[in-house]
Amino acid sequence: MSADNNNPKNDSPLDLDRRKFLNTAAVAGVAGTLLTVGGLAGCKKEGTSTTGGVAASATAGSSHEVAPGELDSYYGFWSGGHMGDVRVLGLPSGREIHRIPVFNPDALVGWGITNESKAIMGTNSDGSLKYHVADTHHVHGSYKDGTYDGKYAWVNDKINCRIARMRLDVMDCDKITEIPNIQGFHGIFPDKRDPVDQAINYTTRVFCGSEFHAPLPNDGHDMDDLTKYRALFTCVDAETMDVRWQVLIDGNCDLVATSYDGKLAATNQYNTEGGVKYVDMMNAEKDACLFFNIARIEQAVKDGKFKTYGKSKVPVVDGTLESNKDPKTALVASVPVPKNPHGVNASPEGKYFICAGKLSPTGTIIDLSLVLKWFDGELKSIDEAIVAEVELGLGPLHTAFDGRGNAFTTLFLDSQVVKWNLENAIKFYKGDKNAKYVVDRIDVQYQPGHLNASMSETKDADGKWLAVGCKFSKDRFLPAGPLHPENEQLIDISGEKMVMVSEHPVRPEPHDFIIVKRDIIKPRQVYNLDEFPNAVKDPAECGVFRQGNKVTVKITSMAPAFYLSDFKVKVGDEVTIILTNLDKVEDLTHGFAIEKYNINFIVNPQETKSVTFKADKPGMYWCYCSHFCHALHLEMRSRMLVEA
Amino acid sequence: MLMLMFASAVYANSYEAPLPAELSTDPDLCAYVPCGDVIAGADSFSERKGKPTYVEAYRSKKGDHGKIDDHESNGDSQEGGNHHGDKNDDRELIGYVFLSTDIVDIPAYSGKPVVTLIGMDTKGIITGAKVLRHSEPILLLGIPEGELTKFIKQYVGKFVGDKIEIGKPREGQSYIGLDAITGATVTVVAQNQVMMRCGVQIARQVGILKPTIRPQAKFTELAKSPTWDDLVTEGGVQRLLVKREDVGLEATGTPYLDLWFGYLNQPTLGRAILGKSNYESLMTRLKPDEHAIFIIRTGGGESFKGSGFVRGGIYDRIQVAQEMDTFTFRDLDYLNLYGIEAAGAPAFNESAIFIIRSKSFSAAYPWKLVFLANKMDKSTGHRTFTSFDAESWLPDAYLQGGRPVVIVPEPTWLRIWKDKAWGIVAFTALLLLIGTVYAKRDWLVRRCTRKNKYWVDGFKYFGWIASIGFVGFAMMAQPSITQVLTWFHALLFHWEWELFLTDPFIFIFWWFIIITVFIWGRGLFCGWLCPFGSLSELLYKMGGWVGLKRFQFLLPERIHHQLKWLKYAIFYGLLAVSFFSMGLAEKLAEVEPFKTTFLVGIFNRAWPYTLFVAILLGLSIFTERPFCKYLCPLGAALAIPTTFRWFGLKRKPACTTCSACAKGCGSLAINPKGEIDQRECMLCLDCMVMYYDEHACPPLSQERKRRERAGLPLTPVGADGHYIPIMPLPAEEKR
Repeated sequence: MSADNNNPKNDSPLDLDRRKFLNTAAVAGVAGTLLTVGGLAGCKKEGTSTTGGVAASATAGSSHEVAPGELDSYYGFWSGGHMGDVRVLGLPSGREIHRIPVFNPDALVGWGITNESKAIMGTNSDGSLKYHVADTHHVHGSYKDGTYDGKYAWVNDKINCRIARMRLDVMDCDKITEIPNIQGFHGIFPDKRDPVDQAINYTTRVFCGSEFHAPLPNDGHDMDDLTKYRALFTCVDAETMDVRWQVLIDGNCDLVATSYDGKLAATNQYNTEGGVKYVDMMNAEKDACLFFNIARIEQAVKDGKFKTYGKSKVPVVDGTLESNKDPKTALVASVPVPKNPHGVNASPEGKYFICAGKLSPTGTIIDLSLVLKWFDGELKSIDEAIVAEVELGLGPLHTAFDGRGNAFTTLFLDSQVVKWNLENAIKFYKGDKNAKYVVDRIDVQYQPGHLNASMSETKDADGKWLAVGCKFSKDRFLPAGPLHPENEQLIDISGEKMVMVSEHPVRPEPHDFIIVKRDIIKPRQVYNLDEFPNAVKDPAECGVFRQGNKVTVKITSMAPAFYLSDFKVKVGDEVTIILTNLDKVEDLTHGFAIEKYNINFIVNPQETKSVTFKADKPGMYWCYCSHFCHALHLEMRSRMLVEA
Repeated sequence: MLMLMFASAVYANSYEAPLPAELSTDPDLCAYVPCGDVIAGADSFSERKGKPTYVEAYRSKKGDHGKIDDHESNGDSQEGGNHHGDKNDDRELIGYVFLSTDIVDIPAYSGKPVVTLIGMDTKGIITGAKVLRHSEPILLLGIPEGELTKFIKQYVGKFVGDKIEIGKPREGQSYIGLDAITGATVTVVAQNQVMMRCGVQIARQVGILKPTIRPQAKFTELAKSPTWDDLVTEGGVQRLLVKREDVGLEATGTPYLDLWFGYLNQPTLGRAILGKSNYESLMTRLKPDEHAIFIIRTGGGESFKGSGFVRGGIYDRIQVAQEMDTFTFRDLDYLNLYGIEAAGAPAFNESAIFIIRSKSFSAAYPWKLVFLANKMDKSTGHRTFTSFDAESWLPDAYLQGGRPVVIVPEPTWLRIWKDKAWGIVAFTALLLLIGTVYAKRDWLVRRCTRKNKYWVDGFKYFGWIASIGFVGFAMMAQPSITQVLTWFHALLFHWEWELFLTDPFIFIFWWFIIITVFIWGRGLFCGWLCPFGSLSELLYKMGGWVGLKRFQFLLPERIHHQLKWLKYAIFYGLLAVSFFSMGLAEKLAEVEPFKTTFLVGIFNRAWPYTLFVAILLGLSIFTERPFCKYLCPLGAALAIPTTFRWFGLKRKPACTTCSACAKGCGSLAINPKGEIDQRECMLCLDCMVMYYDEHACPPLSQERKRRERAGLPLTPVGADGHYIPIMPLPAEEKR
């Protein structure tokens, strides 16, 4: 295939919108695809096929089927995109087991309806939710000893610049932090150990990249002065979820990666130009992968070398290239990477970061030990940290690893995944033209974005399964109207050749995901009653408690009854219902729905939740169990009597 | 109401009483049995709950509240019913009622359980007990069923946590003694176990009895990493195999359930089974006094998890037991077992890690994995509760200092043997004496003459008197055909050595009988030691002595030889009947007068039985052993193997023509050809006395006379019953 096909620069009219641009790029990509197809046709005559079609390979790969009664061997944590949630999948079956509501309200569990969830999500002064929309992209788990410890996972919200943490023992979101001074919060990655204190070999920070540069401070001034537009790189404390510090940088942040030794974090930058229209963002032949020296940044913060902006108290250190010219004191290092890179990923042996070129058909391998050398002043030029820059195919985006020295990179425009060998790529780049670094290619359907392999982003990458999130499904599923699902495809990567084994439609639109060995995740079976300060631990505590027009109703549930079985309030009261599910039996969840009052939420065994609302309609209103619980589920009700 | 009527019918006669199939499965136990009869004051009952199951008994606080139906279909709430309790506030819990067969599977004498309904108050005091069904033959006619009712009544008012045993405690023994049912020791010993185990299990479950605290194990960490085969060999993992036929299903060659299980906290074992990281991760999840075990199913289609835990949160098929403590598992005690690390582990299709959360459990001591199942009766389709278990005990190497010494409580049978030690010694001495006497019969009979048989009769009369007085009346060790029939059934249903050991005299007697029958024939037992036989013949002798000799007679031989087959017919008849109805066979076995004579007492029975015994004993005065000769099925049963005895009685060639001893044979066992029918012979040794009596035995007498006439010396009589020739060869020639 030809590298010429990738560059839309020459024929890009200024006012094309994004969709049209993609069409153009796709047309350009067709040539490459055709070439591939032609090549395949030749192969087929000899009786071998490298197509990734499900039918062709169903017998070849490991079985993704999980028989009734058997369990999946991996958990998958999938972002839900602008659904604002995180989904929990079982792999290799691909079955969706759970959705964790995070940023957006969820009518099933009552997320955004209960007081507890509202407190986490953030409210206006009148108690209404501050935000109703979000866009989750990247899910990452907490680390210990270079691998997942199953404690937390984090996910970003690109729309409202929030980061949320989920407790993996209960699979609930427990904290949400809004990051100041930024827009377009995109990349996110937890650190794997402390850069200084070697005893802290687990996650204590989460790094966040802001993709869109914006006026700083964004207070209505300087909106037309693009030089005042800035992007910042943010560090959030993993435990408190407070924002620790930010770094003011040139260009923007896209994805984020962290090193296994804790010393470096990096973000790829596609808009070093600082453009505001896409054409302005594609001028430079080289963009960058920006490395952050965490220890130096934190020392600078400690030393008071920071500013704050606007109302934010978060210390912001200066990471602009102009201020960091001396490697020995620099907080950041900017490694030039070809043309609008998308994705930076840390290889599991801990040595390299891989940047994919997107508009350049190349993958760039950056040697972390050389970056550290540069910071020590031992490298003449930061360019020397690049140990390979090899051609992979059209539109390379994200890279995953099998733990055996191979990388898998999605080729968006080629609708392919390419498997390539890192050491061979390095040899090839050094001049050994016999080094064959591309091991295999497989067609995916269609236009893949993120991909990830089982345990890929840990030192325990096991090279069993590769999931590919295809952004377009087109003809792959029964048509269900103009909106198409995404197509999540699963590839067996245990052999030399990749084998496509299954595909699933998913509701739009997941972006990124991680695949975690099942024994790492240790979910609780029921909640702990004592974790809820407002728990009604004994039915004897139930009752209606009035303070002026504020009324608290304490209710317990135990199949098949609510207690109180009825309660009286007055029109105009501000009613708070606290419901504790005293059932201890695993899976015995109850719902609490109030007719005509627009309220529904569930309480899992030993869980407590509360809602507050205005009793504005007189009359009798049934409160019923909306979550099937018991043979007498339909009989499980209580009456709310609103006195006029 | 019908059910209650049925229940009262049960009370009237619980022998093999038909019980409704739903009794062992229906949640509403008290709809089928009179729960109120075993706990006074209760007017409503919960559904079955817990594992093993019981029902709660309530009394309404207000007067005429009537029966409250507590139909929670979710029979699970551990908290004791509906906590919201709108309707329960007006009644109070006064105790518990449980069905023995829900809890234990202890067979009684018949090899089948005595189905008992037991009531207990909230302090663990037994409030009542009722036998719903039993299959005990001995309780059928010989001993009135009321005896069992009386026996069970003794438990009322006793605390289930106390040590209760059968018999009076001796000095230094701390238990509450209960009066046994005379002649039904086996039944009451089994029933005592049933009562106590059921009571303790339920009392533990509802919290009346505190669990035993056992010292915790200290583990030895071994460097090795055992393979699956190593684990199997050294006992680190154990197998629990349930065959389809064990639960009443057709055998298909595949098991009903084939489980492997083991203890996981032990680091060497845990790492070998789970792998290092999973083991450590599991241990971080456990608090002190929590123990993890694993179970995998390698064969069989039945699930050991079942589905009960989905509704009620409790796994109702699997338990762990350590002595009297039972550990059940809730859904929250379950963890996924993702795989077995040990090399060579078998493939499995169901698996679990269960957590035992109790100070009571200790891996230093043996414990059992128990699988609770229903057994189906093929003929009726009824299901009854049954359980299967396999023991596990960490091997020495895994425990610091090895396995602790476990004092196994003395089994009941052993205690009985100790209690009756002197009686057993005396009885054994009696048996050995009679055996020795008979072994030395040649020496004895030579010292006797037809007129003077004291050397033999002295021992024999001693044996008779001892067996009538000591064996029969005192020890009540009269063997019976019912035992033979019971063995057939025990072999078919549930053979337990322990049960037979609980009656030491019968146990010893039967070994003696079996051995001597094959050596000398049944006559030694029948003629010398059978209490009733002895009584019968002693009466005959006494009749003679008191001058009734002229009225004494023997049946004409023709009639005798026809009538003697009657007892065989009776035996085979009983055996045949027993295959269709043990109960009927046991009733028909009343043809034996033994129970009336020895076990119950002649005057303690209904007049037909007394009359029957009176006729038999009355006849015995005038004719020798009429019952033994013509009716005794036990004699017939023993006569059959007697065909294969090793040593018979002696005969000489002249016996074929001389029928002198046949005339004196009270058993009519010598035919005109002089052959002795060992099946009929009582080994009285009269003919053997004659054999050596040179004045009474016609051939020997003739020889004596010839010798006297010829002036030949009278040499001693040889083993062949002839004078020993002095000069064999010439003498031979002369003759």
